[in-house]
Amino acid sequence: MFDQFVKDVSGKQLYLIFSLWIFLVFFVVVSILLFITKKQHADHMSDLPLHDNVIGSSNSSPQ
Amino acid sequence: MQPEKFFYDNKIVRNFGIATVLWGIAGMTIGLLIAVQLYYPGANMHNQYTTFGRIRPLHTNAVIFAFVGNAIFMGVYYSLQRLLKARMFSDKLSAIHFWGWQLIIVSALITLPLGITTSHEYAELEWPIDIAITIIWVVFGINMFGTIFKRRERHLYVAIWFYIATFVTIAVLHIVNSFEIPVTFWKSYMVYAGVQDALVQWWYGHNAVAFFLTTPYLGMMYYFLPKMANRPIYSYKLSILHFWALIFIYIWAGPHHLLYTTLPGWAQSLGVAFSIMLIAPSWGGMINGLLTLRGAWDKVRDDVVLKFMVVALTAYGMATFEGPMLSLKQVNAIAHFSDWIIAHVHVGALGWNGFLTFGILYWLIPRIYKTELYSKKLASFHFWIGTLGILFYVIPLYWAGFTQGLMLKEFTPEGMLKYPNFLETVLRIVPMWVTRSLGGCLYLTGVIVMAYNLTRTALQGKLLANEPAQAMPLEPVNTIARESGWHRRLERRPIQFMIAALLVILIGSFVELMPTLTISSNIPTIASVKPYTPLELQGRDLYIREGCLACHSQTVRPFRSETERYGEYSKAGEFVYDHPFLWGSERKGPDLARIGGKYPNAWHYNHLMDPRLMSPGSIMPDYNWLITQDLDTSTTKAKINAMRKIGVPYPAGYENIANRDLTTQADAIAADLSRDHIKVSGRKEIIAITAYLQRLGTDIKANKTTTK
Repeated sequence: MFDQFVKDVSGKQLYLIFSLWIFLVFFVVVSILLFITKKQHADHMSDLPLHDNVIGSSNSSPQ
Repeated sequence: MQPEKFFYDNKIVRNFGIATVLWGIAGMTIGLLIAVQLYYPGANMHNQYTTFGRIRPLHTNAVIFAFVGNAIFMGVYYSLQRLLKARMFSDKLSAIHFWGWQLIIVSALITLPLGITTSHEYAELEWPIDIAITIIWVVFGINMFGTIFKRRERHLYVAIWFYIATFVTIAVLHIVNSFEIPVTFWKSYMVYAGVQDALVQWWYGHNAVAFFLTTPYLGMMYYFLPKMANRPIYSYKLSILHFWALIFIYIWAGPHHLLYTTLPGWAQSLGVAFSIMLIAPSWGGMINGLLTLRGAWDKVRDDVVLKFMVVALTAYGMATFEGPMLSLKQVNAIAHFSDWIIAHVHVGALGWNGFLTFGILYWLIPRIYKTELYSKKLASFHFWIGTLGILFYVIPLYWAGFTQGLMLKEFTPEGMLKYPNFLETVLRIVPMWVTRSLGGCLYLTGVIVMAYNLTRTALQGKLLANEPAQAMPLEPVNTIARESGWHRRLERRPIQFMIAALLVILIGSFVELMPTLTISSNIPTIASVKPYTPLELQGRDLYIREGCLACHSQTVRPFRSETERYGEYSKAGEFVYDHPFLWGSERKGPDLARIGGKYPNAWHYNHLMDPRLMSPGSIMPDYNWLITQDLDTSTTKAKINAMRKIGVPYPAGYENIANRDLTTQADAIAADLSRDHIKVSGRKEIIAITAYLQRLGTDIKANKTTTK
């Protein structure tokens, strides 16, 4: 497999490396977002489908 | 601040629900009909309008866009209103959306059996219908975003992210894959040719699976599963990772449908790499769904709705593990073009889409009719017969695909193909096809039982067309505290959210598509490859009309087993005038890329008239109507003009004399047939399709000089 892979990408590494970098940056950004998301907000969002008949205010999630 | 009273629109949900069930039964019945035709060609009733090549796309369109499409809209219209605590933006737009979508389906039901098709898989409908789809999709988008704008819930739940991504990505896919130049009202040519067309088509085709069969269903899973289990989703944080990683990675994976073809190697490798990565977000979603049932597995034992959901999620996990495995080149070399792919697709379609739809219908219909399900026993019967149906469907097809894939590659110790006759490998797997159709029959029986059960449920209740609800209005944004967290802020800004999703899917699309579409050196030209003659062009359009590519590929992969069987492997430069490309994705019969000149004209005539005369045991249907129907030459001029506009170098003014050349070539073929004691007029369709078949692969045989 790897022989085939190396042969095929010869001279076109730019596309693959560029793509890999895009993915890496994207993945790191999303991971940071996850890391800084607060638990109260996550719980509030998780409960939304279960509270669709609740009349209370839903203007913002807990800080 | 006082709570506001409003009403949810359940009527539109009910309407889409009814359409889901009716079109589901229709689409699956057509599927069963074509499954039977594979081992009993006479099941086409010797009628061109019910023959495999024409109604296979009807089956795929019916189950994807009619069954699944209506189920998506049913689920979206129900969950969106409740998650946003608002009635749909406009009842009129809801009605236009519903009836417009049904009209599009009816137009497919009429045009596809007539052979009116672009030949692009899952995008077969011709350009006027493409425009109608665009309009109705925009209506859906306005209605959805209008509802989002008037919502009473500040943050958009994860289900709505998936709906937004579905809306925006399907719009992009549909527009890019519909660049066609109209020839007549019901005929167009794709603007792209050959390898470029193939890349665009499978970028579309793969992502139609991703963003029509997957993301909206994931959105529905995120809403309905917590409701059914009465538990919050396992991990909201995982859903963030799941969503962004899935939509980012999915868009790159299309080229795994084109491995070992003439697509540039780097694009193939890119498709493989991202397909493997796709396991992570896909399984993230499956795990998030299954773990939502943590502590509630006792409910699964008793609740048939949850049973459907568990099998749906399991099927999703299996299909999304198998997909990346199939994109590995070694596995793909055996599986591609075989029934293995059909099995893979149906694990997703029958298990994931089908069972999730059934689970939602069983949960939703009693609620909007304010009653109980008519019969839990019948629902349980449906679950078990449906599960058995899936097993009887996919296991024989895995077996068939593996068997045929290996047979086609086997050599004798002397270095000769062990099974040089393709038909021998087909006849070996006929018993598996029979068993598959039994599986399909079981599955369809379950759906019919469900239709009865839901009808009785509806009859014993009364539709609550306008369901009363109350919610506090949203305070103006400037009066509430600024929220921390970028994603948290994004969740309350639908337009920014849509733009972010659009950018994410465009990144992969640009990197992948642009080099092949814009760098000419990606497609070396071949001096001897010339445009089709007018008769061959007409014959090619008949080939498209009859859906020949449903069973015959036109691309020889660079394997010894294929070059020994078919001839020299395919080159990108051979397809530069192919608008559209006709490589196909399935081989029920041999590849035809090098068929030209292999047999005399009389062989083709007799073979099309009765395939079993020339190939005893063949499963190909008769094409007698090609012998009796006159070729429509009134379109030749328009076809030549259209082809020239999209870059095919016909000389200026050639359109005026094209029919003269057509007649000359047709008469020569008719005279040749006459020498073999076959009396047929040169004006008949069979002459044109014979001319086209005799042309295939001959350019490269004539001259192997390649120029960059």
